Amino acid sequence: MSVDDRLVKNLTEEVGVEHAELLGVISAGRIGRYAAAVDDSNPLYRDAEYARSLGYAHVVAPPNLIAAVINWTSGAAYDRLREDGTEADLHLPGVPASGVRVMGGGEEIEFVAPIVAGTEVSRTTVLLDINQRESKTGPLVVARYKDHYTDSSGAALVNSVRTVILR
Amino acid sequence: MTALDTATTPHPGTLAVGQVLAAITRTTSLTQVFRYSAATWNTHRIHYDLDYAKREGYPGVLVQSHLHGAFVTQYCTDWMGPGGTLESLVVSVRRYAVAGESLTCVGVITELEDQGDFVAVHLDVTETRDSDGAVCVPGKAVIRLPLHEPTKGTNG
Repeated sequence: MSVDDRLVKNLTEEVGVEHAELLGVISAGRIGRYAAAVDDSNPLYRDAEYARSLGYAHVVAPPNLIAAVINWTSGAAYDRLREDGTEADLHLPGVPASGVRVMGGGEEIEFVAPIVAGTEVSRTTVLLDINQRESKTGPLVVARYKDHYTDSSGAALVNSVRTVILR
Repeated sequence: MTALDTATTPHPGTLAVGQVLAAITRTTSLTQVFRYSAATWNTHRIHYDLDYAKREGYPGVLVQSHLHGAFVTQYCTDWMGPGGTLESLVVSVRRYAVAGESLTCVGVITELEDQGDFVAVHLDVTETRDSDGAVCVPGKAVIRLPLHEPTKGTNG
């Protein structure tokens, strides 16, 4: 299977449908490891005293951390992984667990408020629109998903629009 | 990686449209790409399985799209220092990079937008693959800088 009428029908029905989920608490440990992996030594991400001196309650997450985490669940069993190693849960409503190749096409992120360690984060995902195109390798679909991240009071933290290419 | 003065926030009065900011080069590694996958639970084999990456036509394991984005993000946050606020970022990964490659970020000021006590600095940030000069990421960022002291964190 690749891009066919069934996929386009599934996606078309998905446009505008909101999916809300609780991602969990962003811990100082997660923030520190993310910054270490990037090789970003900004003390705002590791040194709580420094962060407090700037007026924050705790260390702050690097701005793009929240949008970079691929999967917030506890993880799929090995026999549920696809051949490319990815998990069936792609965080792409309307896209089936197998048969479609997925490529990232870019992201627009608005950082509304800093995410301080200890913040409980929720996310609402909605498929904004799809566009079918022909390419040299066959038909493809360009899908745009919006992710709205909030804290436990519902206050906005981050808005992101992801462009995903399906073929 | 070249050291930047990350402890200071530039004063908007010292900036001009067209100004090219200092470039920063960093060299990725297999270990870094692995650790980034671990930190983000990115299990795609293209980021750690060389045989798989070669089967897909790549000369090495790929730097994650979000790691490219993280480099552009850090370029902005290092430049703006503790008094600045990164308001938005647009990134689009056009060319891949493989683990071990050096990548250079450079920013150009495209607009200085008066916002009263703040100036919104609009930047075009490009991340270039040093091996052949190809642009991996054309990016755009908006950074808010305070016009007046103190240059403390703005905390939202």
